[in-house]
Amino acid sequence: MADAGIIAIGAGVAIGSAALATAWAQKTIGAAAVGAAAENEKMFGKGLIYMVLPETIVLFGLVIAFLLWTKM
Amino acid sequence: MFKPQEMTRTLLLGAKQDLEHTIELLHSLDIVHIIDFKAPDADQTLHLGAPTIKASGVSQHLLKVRSSAQLLQLNTENQKISQKHSEKQVQQDIALKIQDMEQNIQSLMEAKTRLEEHFRKLDERIRQLEPFASMDIPLEDYQGYGHLLVYTGYVRDLKKLTETLPTLTTDFELFTSGAEDQMIGLFIVKHHGEDAHKLLNDCSFTEVKLPEGTGLPKQFIEKWTEQKKELSEKLLQTTKDILECRKRYAEFILASEEYLTIEVQKAEAPVLFGTTEHSFLIDCWIPTQQLPHVTETIEKELNGALYIQQITSTHDDEPPTLLKNPKPVRRFEYLLELYSLPNYRDIDPSFLLSFIFPLFFGLMIGDIGYGILLILFGVLFMKLFKESEGFTNIGWYIIIAGIFSSIFGLFLFGDMFGLPFMLTHAAEGEAAYSWSSLLGIHIPIPSIIHKMESLGMTQLLVISIIAGTLHLGLGLLIGFFVERKHNKKHAITKIGLLMVLIALALLIFVMADWTIGQWIKPLRGTAVEPVLWGTLIPLVKSGISLGGLIVPFITLVFGILGILIIMVVAGGFGLVEVLEITSHLMSYTRLAAICVAKAAMAFAFNMIGLGLILSGNILIGILGVILLIFMQLMVFALGALSSGIQAVRLHYVEFFMKFYKGEGIRFNPFGYKRKYTSTE
Repeated sequence: MADAGIIAIGAGVAIGSAALATAWAQKTIGAAAVGAAAENEKMFGKGLIYMVLPETIVLFGLVIAFLLWTKM
Repeated sequence: MFKPQEMTRTLLLGAKQDLEHTIELLHSLDIVHIIDFKAPDADQTLHLGAPTIKASGVSQHLLKVRSSAQLLQLNTENQKISQKHSEKQVQQDIALKIQDMEQNIQSLMEAKTRLEEHFRKLDERIRQLEPFASMDIPLEDYQGYGHLLVYTGYVRDLKKLTETLPTLTTDFELFTSGAEDQMIGLFIVKHHGEDAHKLLNDCSFTEVKLPEGTGLPKQFIEKWTEQKKELSEKLLQTTKDILECRKRYAEFILASEEYLTIEVQKAEAPVLFGTTEHSFLIDCWIPTQQLPHVTETIEKELNGALYIQQITSTHDDEPPTLLKNPKPVRRFEYLLELYSLPNYRDIDPSFLLSFIFPLFFGLMIGDIGYGILLILFGVLFMKLFKESEGFTNIGWYIIIAGIFSSIFGLFLFGDMFGLPFMLTHAAEGEAAYSWSSLLGIHIPIPSIIHKMESLGMTQLLVISIIAGTLHLGLGLLIGFFVERKHNKKHAITKIGLLMVLIALALLIFVMADWTIGQWIKPLRGTAVEPVLWGTLIPLVKSGISLGGLIVPFITLVFGILGILIIMVVAGGFGLVEVLEITSHLMSYTRLAAICVAKAAMAFAFNMIGLGLILSGNILIGILGVILLIFMQLMVFALGALSSGIQAVRLHYVEFFMKFYKGEGIRFNPFGYKRKYTSTE
C-alpha cells in the first residue's frame, strides 16, 4: 500500500485543479451568456448549455480523486 | 405523443368578392396557420394583398381604446369580468360610447394634471419663502436701496459673524431667524460691502435668493398652505372620479379592445395573402387530423366558392410545430421550449423529459426531508406565481422532483435532512447521529446506500454510469430512428456510437465487478442463475489483462467494430464523436457527485448544529437550533438549485445532442382566444 498522505494530496490536486479549470472556463462563458440572454431572452436555454459545458472537467477530476481515494 | 401533429400544406383559391367571408370563416375556425405570402420573382401576376377598407377606421378606434386603458392604468390582460359581452353589443357600444369615454377620461386627466401642476407651483413658492418667514420683514423691504447692500442666506458660523461685524462698521443691521438653520438678513452700507462679503465667506455663507413679491412672508405661507389643502382635497376627489370612471368603463374597454383587436387582425389578414386583380390565394398549414373538418366547413359555408388544393410537402418545407401531449406532460413542453421548440421532423421528447428529468433531480437530492420541503416549495411557487405560465410550470417540476426525491430518500438512502434514520455499522461508536438515536425510538428504515461511505460512493457511481448508458443509448436509438430516412450516414454513425457506448459501459461494469456482484446476489438460486452465472457473466468477464486492468473481449469487439463503422462512414473526424460519447458518459457521474456533495454538506452542518444543541447549555442550544435551521435551508437551496440545473443539463447537452435539432416554427393559427367577448 502506497503512502496514504501522498495519495490524499494527489486526490486533492486532481479535483482542485480540475475545479479551477472549470471555474476559469465558466467565468468567460457565464459573462457572455448573461449578456446574450439580456439581449434576447430566447438565448437563455442555449446560454445555460454553454455555461454548464465545462462542468464535465471537474467531474473528471472527481472520478480520478475517487479512484485514488479507494486505493488509500 | 412522440411526434408533433402532422400538417398538410393547403392552398385556398377564391374570387375577391368572397375574401371577407373567407377571412371571417378562417378566423372563426382558429386552426389554419397562414404562411406569409412571398411572390416568386418571375411571377408578376401575383401581388401581396392590401388591408381591407375597414382597417384604418378600426385601427383608429383601437388606438383610442388602448390609450384610454393606459390613462386609466387598466391592464387588459387577465382581468375578471361579470360576463362575456356579445360582439353585436360591443359593436353598438363602440359607436355610442367611444367618443364620450374619450372626452370624459381626457377632461378628468387634464383636470388632474392642472391640479397637480398648481399644487407643485404652490409647493415650490412656499419652499422659497420659508427661510424668510421667521424674520418677519416684508419682502419689499429687502430691496430698492441706493446706499445699502442686502445679504440673505444661511451662515454656518453665526457667532463669528456677530462678533466680527461690529469691528468693521456700525452701519449695519443684522436679522436672524433664531432657528437652527441660522438664516440671516444683513443690511450693510455699500462701501463696507467688500469686507462684509469676505467675512460672510469666512463664516460659510450660502446665499438664498429673494423670491419675487411684496408683503410678509408668513402671511403668504399661511394663505398658500390653506390653498394647498383645498387643492389636495380637490385632487383626491378627481382621483376618486378617475377610479369611478375606470370602474364604469373597465368592462367596455376590455370588451372593445378585444373586439377591435380581432377586427384589426381580420382587416390586415390580406397582407398575408397573394392576390391578383380579381382573386386571392392563401397558402397555409392545417393539422391533417382537422383537414376533413376544415374543408367540409369551408365547402358548406362558402357554397364551394373556394378552390381547395392539398400539396404534398417537400423536404424544403418548414411546417409549423404543434405538440400533442397529455396534460401532465404538457407542462414539460415549457422546459423543452426553453432549449428550443421541436422541429416538425423532430421526435418530441416531452414525455421522456417528464419523468427522466424529475428522476435525475430526485436522485441527486435523495432525501425525504428535502423532498417534502421541495413539494411544499413547489406548491407555494405555483400559488404565488399563478399568473405566469413559466413559473407555475417550474413549480410543477419542483413538486414532481420532490416526490421522486422523497421516494429515493425513503427507500434507497434512508435519510432525512442529511441524517440517516438508522446508524450504519461503520459509523457506530463514533460521534455520529441518527434519527433513531436522537429521538430515542427505533425507526426501521435502513439505508441501502450510504452516501457518506466509500462503498456507497462506488455504488452511486455505478448507478450513474448505468443511468448514463441507458439515457445516452436511448438518445442514440432515437437519433438513428430520426436520421434513418433523411441521412443514412448519420444514422449508421449513431449505431457505431451505440456500440462504443456499450463497450465503454461493459468495461466500467467489469471494473465495478464487486459492486454489481453484490446487487445481483439475490438472483442466485432463481431461474435466471444458469443464464447469468453460467453464460452471461463469464462471457462479459473474459478478456485480456492490460496493465492489471481486465479488458473484456466484448468491449474490444464492440469498441473496435464501432470505431471502424464510424471511421468508414464519417472519416477520421468521426473519432471526435467517439471522444465525445466517452466524456458524455463520464458526465453522468455528476448524479453521484451532487448527491454526495450535498449529503456531505448536510452532514457537516448537522454535526456542528447538533453538537451545539446537545451541549447542555440552553443559550448555546438555542443558538444551535437557529444555526441549524439556517444551514439546513442553505443546503436545501444550494442542493435544489444545482440538482435542477444539472438535471436540465444532462438533457440539454448529453441527451438532446444525440437526436434533437429544435428551432421549430410555432403553430400559430389565424384566430383569437376570446376572453371578454362572444360571437353569440
